[in-house]
Amino acid sequence: MTMRLTRKYYPVRELREGDRCAYSAGTLTVSYDELLAVAKPYGKNIAKIWFEVCRPGENARIVHVLDTIQPMYKTEHPANWGGKEYPGILNYPHTAGCGVTNLLEGLAVMECAAMPWDEGSASSGLLYPRDAVIQTTGFYKHYTPFADTINLIVNFEVLPDRTSDEYDNDIRKSGMAIAQHLARLTEGQPAQREEVFDNTPVAGLPGVALVWMCQNQGVYANTLYYGLPIYDIAPTLLEPNEMLDGAVVGGNLGWPTYKIPTWTHVNGPIVLELYRRHGVDLNFAGVILARSHQPSNWHKDRCAQIIAKMAAQLNCAGLIMQWEGGGNACIDGMLTIQNGERRGIRCALLTFEFGGKDGTEGQLLVDDVPEADAVVSTGSWERPVHLDAVDVAYGGKTLRLDKEKGGYFPDAREAIDFETNVHMYMGGNQSGYSRIMAREY
Amino acid sequence: MTKLRAVCYINQFFAGLGGEEKAHEGLLVYEGAKGPGLGMQPMWKGEMEIPLTLACGDNFFNLEENYEAVKPEILRLVREAAPDVVIAGPAFNAGRYGVACGKFCDLITSELGIPSVTGMFPTNPAVEMYLRKTYIVATGETAGAMRTSLPKLAALALRLAQRAPLGPAAAEGYLPTGVRINEVDERSAACRVVDMLMSKLRNEPYRTEIPLRKDEKVPAAPPLPDYSKVKFGLVTMGGLVPKGNPDKLKMYASETYGTYPIDLATFDSAHYESVHGGYDTTAVNKDPQRLVPYTAALNLLERGLIGSLTPYFLSTCGIGTNVGMAKKIGGEMARQLKEDGVSAVFLSST
Repeated sequence: MTMRLTRKYYPVRELREGDRCAYSAGTLTVSYDELLAVAKPYGKNIAKIWFEVCRPGENARIVHVLDTIQPMYKTEHPANWGGKEYPGILNYPHTAGCGVTNLLEGLAVMECAAMPWDEGSASSGLLYPRDAVIQTTGFYKHYTPFADTINLIVNFEVLPDRTSDEYDNDIRKSGMAIAQHLARLTEGQPAQREEVFDNTPVAGLPGVALVWMCQNQGVYANTLYYGLPIYDIAPTLLEPNEMLDGAVVGGNLGWPTYKIPTWTHVNGPIVLELYRRHGVDLNFAGVILARSHQPSNWHKDRCAQIIAKMAAQLNCAGLIMQWEGGGNACIDGMLTIQNGERRGIRCALLTFEFGGKDGTEGQLLVDDVPEADAVVSTGSWERPVHLDAVDVAYGGKTLRLDKEKGGYFPDAREAIDFETNVHMYMGGNQSGYSRIMAREY
Repeated sequence: MTKLRAVCYINQFFAGLGGEEKAHEGLLVYEGAKGPGLGMQPMWKGEMEIPLTLACGDNFFNLEENYEAVKPEILRLVREAAPDVVIAGPAFNAGRYGVACGKFCDLITSELGIPSVTGMFPTNPAVEMYLRKTYIVATGETAGAMRTSLPKLAALALRLAQRAPLGPAAAEGYLPTGVRINEVDERSAACRVVDMLMSKLRNEPYRTEIPLRKDEKVPAAPPLPDYSKVKFGLVTMGGLVPKGNPDKLKMYASETYGTYPIDLATFDSAHYESVHGGYDTTAVNKDPQRLVPYTAALNLLERGLIGSLTPYFLSTCGIGTNVGMAKKIGGEMARQLKEDGVSAVFLSST
């Protein structure tokens, strides 16, 4: 039996400060004191929280971006077993995806912090949050949805000498508590619109599954499934509605370009597109969640085979392959496509590409298989990025770049050139949100 | 309004002289349109005309000494005609004619800065040679496809003459020149990937946006018969460097590598670190020998199991590096090691 979820949408067209938090007909009033009190229980390792708001139409840059959350709150769920939104983070890890969920539409709660670089707390190598940048104007605004949302920026300053785990945990929970508190304000109010998500199969249409291969390599490079990192997960079958209700939460802060923020896990562009076409020309059979960056060929083949088996078991005619992360994940994805096609399941893929600084380097992917003959380009991450100067910067006053070379801290508002798009939040476009692609000339 | 001007280049066959027996003919000069130009001129509806057509026999033009001899005269004639664009062919799948068309276009564009366009069947060998030097419209395989090929050639020639900014290859009808540019599409990647899958499921045509790499296999090296006579090197992709990263190796998208001597007395966590940006380097930062197992290799040497060992290691960060750059770095490493008499390496990847 499939799940039925009603999403109720409460648009946020205006955000203003007030004595207490309230939502009314498109206007969200926030009391920062009230939000600080809400976050307080989760902030043992936090020195300070302060807020900023970045509105659509501003010529702005947001720096030090960590995760971004869609504020939502479940008002109804099955009494005996149903879970709440973002299960396993603040709420008990009961099964999500059923009932009624209220969403503050057009509002993003964005966590920003200049995380420590010292070895003791920030660990090393991959595992430190590189500066993630959002530009709200020009070509690069297309990377993220957040040039068009009202962004409530929650800035964190952490206490010294704590562990990465502690910082990561506190920031996530504080951000969640704030998002949940705001979404709860809609309780009992009429929604502007609502949408029902139910993937009960329609006879005669081909089944399609989404393979959602997420990164998990340690603190700051994790993906959480019902509150736990997916480090040792075998491919797992999710109802699409579990994605919508936040069963999967992003924690990949290492490489800004490869990030899939929690906002795009729960507003998954492919999940929503498959739902839009469910019952029209396909049956949305489910989401297969797996870990990318499997450590060896043995692990990669094991994972790919289990996914292909699962898709066959679901009677899928086709699957969409999506991965989070870089070259290592590409191999996982390609093996999955190969195994799927060998079982007669047609596969299509979306991925960022290489191509060199000037777009003439002919090898676009680090790995491929002959079966990967339907590939959508989400753009090349290797092209130099030039950001024009902006009127205002949020999240910090300077950028924090080039840690391995001792650090470089330019003014966050000035024009800047990057060698690649590595620092651009969601620049790899692995969620499929962006319309940026690389075209052949 | 003055008309735009196109100068055309054709071979002896399309000039009406004959086939193979006339392939040695030298430079021929015709006033106005001739051959395919006659078909194209009306398509421009008075906006562009052909004041001059040049022709050569294919064998003549393909011979380097003839080409060099006739080059100044061609440049003089074209300069005098002052065209806004030059058009060669279409050459369809004819190899020598294709090369002649490519050569002519390349000459005019590089010497005179005038845009050029030709037409060929996509597998014509001349395509690979001239793809980056001129625009090539995809045509049918033989002159039988003249009727379907000319409109595409004429349309692109007019746009080039107008100095209109050209759109992507697929939209304009030319063969991709090997350059890819990030642009904003009308639709999100999510919508396009679902569409593509559905087309594939229905056996309808679709166009992959990332062509696969050309078939490329790296053959395994033949086995070495006797390790005890072999000099071994030490290489890591794990980003091990002396503390402070003296060569400023990049933590991703590497472009260089470093060569570092090993002194066992200082081969430790106080003196070495990894700057690799793609894995948890905590363990290797505690002991560099997790990446470069020098003591273990020395042990093999002492037991006579390997012939000799380099007293240094090569290092780079294997992450986010495109294939072309990886080949360059790998090639340089191999060259350096071979020059030092190394024929096998202990290679650690991460």
